[in-house]
Amino acid sequence: MTAVFKALADPTRRQVLQLLRSGPKSAGELADHFPVSKPTMSAHFAVLREAGLVDSDKQGKTLMYRLKMSVLEEALMEFSGLLGLDLSQRAEKTSRSATLRKASTK
Amino acid sequence: MILKRTSIAIAVAVLFLALVAGLKYAESSELIGPDIAKRTTQVIVGLMLAAHANLMPKDIGRWRTSALAAARSQSALRVGGWSMTLAGLAYAGFWAFAPLAFADVASIVVVASAMVITMGYGGWTLFTCRI
Repeated sequence: MTAVFKALADPTRRQVLQLLRSGPKSAGELADHFPVSKPTMSAHFAVLREAGLVDSDKQGKTLMYRLKMSVLEEALMEFSGLLGLDLSQRAEKTSRSATLRKASTK
Repeated sequence: MILKRTSIAIAVAVLFLALVAGLKYAESSELIGPDIAKRTTQVIVGLMLAAHANLMPKDIGRWRTSALAAARSQSALRVGGWSMTLAGLAYAGFWAFAPLAFADVASIVVVASAMVITMGYGGWTLFTCRI
């Protein structure tokens, strides 16, 4: 769940997910919507893939992406976008408390 | 993957049956009223429906060669997932808070409507893809 919070915390990644709602798109098509470099976009795609929010497939020379979000994840995205919540802080807090829990059990 | 999903489904089913048996026992021992047992069982049914439908849009299957077919199948899964999840939550809500006679009818109506939306939209997307 921490990976999902981290992925949804960034407005660019949320916008990528919104663009994918209309159907699968190539990495190039998605990148055209943002004024960022290709490596930055690739990093955003990697975070989304790791969180299991998108699925990718290489079709010839084109890397295609499609949405893979549960209803709860989509609702979370909507809420974070609407309320402008910084979910990254929550994600960090969760991972920090998990680390502390692990350390205390040792 | 399939084995893991099947094991989880069986574990959830066993848990559900054990809970219902426990409620039945509590009811026959007059520890709880008959209404509570019925309401609790139905609330769990609603929540299970919502939990199952929540994952529906994630089950996207193989990649399709046609971009239109891929977009349509994705939107059909999203519409189905949202309508069935909301129906499951409404079902649980009705059984938790509404009077029994009302919950009896409203819960069926809400789930049936969600099924009509899911199947209707799914059928429509299939039909428009084949034209």
